[in-house]
Order: sequence, then C-alpha cells, then structure tokens
Amino acid sequence: MTASIFIPSVGFGLVTASILALAAVGFTLQFGVTNILNLAYGDLMTAAAYIGYVVNRHGGSIALSLLAGAAFGALSAFLLNRLVYTPFLRRGTKLFGMVIVTLSVGVIIQNTLLAIGGATFFTYNFSVGSAVHPLGFVFNTSQLMIIGLAVAAMIVVQLLLTQTRLGKAMRATAANPGLAQASGIATDRVVDIAWLLSGLLCGLAGVVLVLNTTAFQSTTGSGFLVIIIAAAMLGGVGRATGAMVGALVLGLVTEISAAYISPSYKEIFAFGVLVIVLLVRPTGIFTGAQREVAG
Amino acid sequence: MNATAYYLTTLLVYLGVDIMAVWALNLQYGIGGVYNFAFVLFQAFGAYIAAVLTLGSSSGNGGFQNYILGATLPFPLPIIAAGLASGLLAVVVGLVALRKLRTDYQAMVMLVISVIATLTVTNDTGLFNGPAGLSLIPQPLSNVVNPSSVGYQWFYVGITFVICAIVYVFVHRVTSSPLGRALRATRDNEAAAEALGKDVVRLRLFVFVFGNVIAGISGAVLVQFIGAWSPGSWMYVETLVFLTAIIVGGTGNNLGVMLGALLVPVGFNEATRYLPQIGRPGLIDALQWIVIGMLGLVFLWFWPQGIIPERRRRFAPTPPGTAPVSGSAGSGSGAPLADPTVLGEPR
Repeated sequence: MTASIFIPSVGFGLVTASILALAAVGFTLQFGVTNILNLAYGDLMTAAAYIGYVVNRHGGSIALSLLAGAAFGALSAFLLNRLVYTPFLRRGTKLFGMVIVTLSVGVIIQNTLLAIGGATFFTYNFSVGSAVHPLGFVFNTSQLMIIGLAVAAMIVVQLLLTQTRLGKAMRATAANPGLAQASGIATDRVVDIAWLLSGLLCGLAGVVLVLNTTAFQSTTGSGFLVIIIAAAMLGGVGRATGAMVGALVLGLVTEISAAYISPSYKEIFAFGVLVIVLLVRPTGIFTGAQREVAG
Repeated sequence: MNATAYYLTTLLVYLGVDIMAVWALNLQYGIGGVYNFAFVLFQAFGAYIAAVLTLGSSSGNGGFQNYILGATLPFPLPIIAAGLASGLLAVVVGLVALRKLRTDYQAMVMLVISVIATLTVTNDTGLFNGPAGLSLIPQPLSNVVNPSSVGYQWFYVGITFVICAIVYVFVHRVTSSPLGRALRATRDNEAAAEALGKDVVRLRLFVFVFGNVIAGISGAVLVQFIGAWSPGSWMYVETLVFLTAIIVGGTGNNLGVMLGALLVPVGFNEATRYLPQIGRPGLIDALQWIVIGMLGLVFLWFWPQGIIPERRRRFAPTPPGTAPVSGSAGSGSGAPLADPTVLGEPR
C-alpha cells in the first residue's frame, strides 16, 4: 500500500465530494419537499454551466459565473415547477407520469443546448491557480475554492433547515404536507422556496463541476445525474444531511479506488457501494423511521 | 428496385423488434406498474449474448475483438439463450431493486443500474469488446439462404414476424388471464391488492423477469440482423423512446402500444431521415430528441391514455350476500379504487 498516493487521492475525493454534495443536497431537498423525482436536474446543471460559460467568455470573473449559474438555476427550477410540473400534477398526472415528464424535460433541455451550442467541448477561460500542499494534500486554488464553497453552502443549508422557521416549515412539509398545511404553513410558498433553493444549488454545482473537469458538453450534467441520485439514495432520499454524507462517501470511494485500482472503474465502485447499501438497508443509511408517502 | 426492398425490409425488421420491446415494457409498466428504467439494458444484454454465441471463439476473425463465451450455436439457439440470459439478469436485478423499495426508489435504482451497466461494458474491454462494441456478427441460416440477397432480407423479416407472433401469444396469455388482472390490481392499488392476498412483490418480480426475457429476445433478433452492437446503442434515454411509444399508443393496451412502436421509434426516425441536413452536424439528431420529448409531454397533457386507450374492464355486479369486494380486484383501468364506502354499497 503506497501511502504517497493515499493522501492526494483523499484530496481529490474531497473535491469530488464537494461538487457532489452541492448537487445532491439540492436534489434531495426538492425531492423531499415536493416528492417529484426531477430527472431534468442534471441537464439543468449543464444549462447553468453554459450560462456561466457565456458570462466567463464575455470577460466576467469566475465569481460572476458562479452567481449567474446559481441565479439561472434557481429561476429555471422555479419556473419549471410552476409552468410544467405543477400544471401536470394538477391535471392528475400520477407518479410515474411525472417521472416521464421530468425525463422528457431533461432530454429537451439537453438537446436544446446541443442544438444551440453544437456537439463540441467548452472550456472556461480561467487559471486553476498555483498548487498548494496543506497537510500533504495536493490542491490547486480552484479546488480549494470549490471545497470552501461547498462547506459554506452545506453549513448555510444545515442552519436554514434546523434553526429557522422556514427550515422547520420545509421539514414539516416534507414529512406530511396535509398536516403542515392544516397547521397553518403556507405549503405552496414552501414548495416554491424548495425549488428556488434546489435550483440555486443545482446551478452552483453545474458551474463548479465544469470548473473542476475543465471541459464540458451538452451531456455532462446528465452523465453526473446518476451519481447524484446514488449519493442522495445512500443518505436516504429527502434528507439533506444524509446526502452530504452520501456525497462524502461516494467522493472518497471513487477517487481512492481510481488511485489504487483503475480510474475507469471508479463510478462502478461507487455504484457497488450503493447496491450493497440498498441490499442491507433499502431506504439509505441515515434514515430512522421512514416517512410514508402516498402514491 | 433493390434499394427500396432493402430499405423496406430493414424497416420491417426494426418494426418487429420495436413491437416486441413495447409489448414487453408495456407488460411491465402499463400492466404491472413496474418502473423499468433499465429496460434497454436487458435488450442490450440479449443482443450481446446472441452476438457472442454466434461469433465463435474470441480468437476468430484475427482475434481483433475481445469477448466472453465465444461459441457458434445454430439458429435459433442464440436467440433463446439471449432471452434466458436477460431473464436471469432480471432475476438478479429484480431481487435487488423490487424488494421492499418504494416505487419511485425503484425507478431511481433502475436508472442507476442502467448506467452502471453501460459503464461496466464500456470500461471492461474483455467483456463485450468495450466502447468499440462487437461487429461482423454472422446472420442466422446464412448457409441456407444467401445473406447478401434481397431474398435473405425478406426471409429475415419472416423470421422476425414469426418470433413476434410467438411472443404475442405469451404476452396475450398473461394480459388476458387472471394473472393479468392481479397485475393490474397491484398497479392500480398496491395496498388493496395486498389486502386481497396478492403477493405484490412476487407479481412484480414475475412481470419484470417475463418482460425482460422478451427484451432479450428482441435485442437478439435485432443484433443478428444488423450485425453490430456497441454501448452507444443502448444509452438509458433509449428506454424513454419506448416509454414514449407506449404513452402515445395507449398504456396498457397491446394493440395501442403496437401502433406506438410504429409511430415513435420507427415512424419518427424514418421521417426525419429524409429531412435535408441543415445546420451543423448533429442538429437534426438534437431536434429529433427534442420532438420525442415534446411528444411525450403533449400526450401526457392532452391524451394521457394514448391513441387506443386501455379497455375499461367491467365485471358483473356482485350478487347480494357475497363479499362486496370480490369484483374490485381487477376493476381495471384509470383511477385507483374508489373509496371503501362506495364499495360497500349494494350496487
């Protein structure tokens, strides 16, 4: 066992985990509150990355790209729910129909990006910064920024969910929408906020993902979606803290197995972990009494 | 004219393959309520198995392809083996994904499994020759009929439709039997079906395995005709094409989904083939996917039951004095069972 590659691979794992955590928390939060499996999430990430790219290529800083991506993500997730998903639900489309709706929307977004942008790879115009070696890790400045951003976002989400009235309302809506409404919570507003927050994290994750991979194309986000779902399921779908831990586990597993075994098998290892967990504990590691959701 | 005949026969083989696929997926999703987002994986697995069982040993053809299980089995053994192999894979996947999990979780797990499979086959080049895929797969009975003749093309159309007919006999037997009623009952109201003593997990597992056997057969029929197969042919969105076909044609209706197969995978791909190649390369492809996505949304919005809706099943009114719930298990399409108070009323 070579120790020299162990610590750097943990470092890469932390970077992957950070991106994954941003994405998975946004995904799971919205699913928990609204119970809609939004398979367009990955494609929305790609769209946000494109917006960030446009800003970047017009001379905007990376911070501005992140801001634009996050704002775009929040707005489009909100509108997607208001203009497409909620109308379908009101029309009586059932659970499985909704899955098809979101998957179709994802395919439409992805191919619209392909039609506009063309089948090429895009790269942001930026420097990853100089390498730094804290505690034997190997990071560049951009990766440290990604980790910092993710940690900050996770702290904010955690505080929001546990310390504020809004967070309480969100958790109540997730647990039992009918009861929450009866207790005087404006569940419609909570749902709107859940979509905004989910979209914001989705947009941030999209820009951050392509900052780390450096090149992206129209299928980048949808390729990442499955590992987001895996992280969310690992932690118990609908649970923000669970998704954070799920992201950490998957991030470390993928990068450490990439370093020691083969990079081409890293996703397979991540999914292997998921399958084992599902066999042992079908509702994820961090779930207590599982809430019952009709339908 | 030869070119027209080639085109027409190719189209007919594709149609037959797609019809088998939508029957199978409809059985799972439309009748049984199983959300099989990994459908295309089982079709692909069947295709691979049929391919390696006809290609012969991996050192053949100068050994330029790496794969497992090389053999030269005579027709129709590779097709049968493909169905069995996909069924076996379905048992394994079904035991992981269909036990205990909520249905939306099942949908997620299926999606994840479909992507793992693509990654595995792409990265493990020893399995099915990696990203390049398998090619030069021999066509069945090519020693009997000259495979490069138009006659062979029509011959293969015949094979495809005979297999289609056999598959239909089995599918129809399931959908029109008490088993089909039990499946519809679990689809419409899981709790009620369970309360009536139906083993929901076993029913779902059955329909999952049965449908995926057909998926494997359809993949085998396809690959023996086109002679090549690679991971690019079975990305998970391909399942969406079949699902859209089912929604357009009429979920739960075997005839309806046949029409869906004619309109969506076959009709659509062919219609757009004749569009002039405008814009940059790949633009038409992208537009095609956009339209398929839109088609699903439009149908789910305006005609959620499809062009030929599932037949409403009616049962004789319960004679007074017997258990009031006896007829309700199969009460069929559309809305979930009415609330229990209505069931308790005499008529």
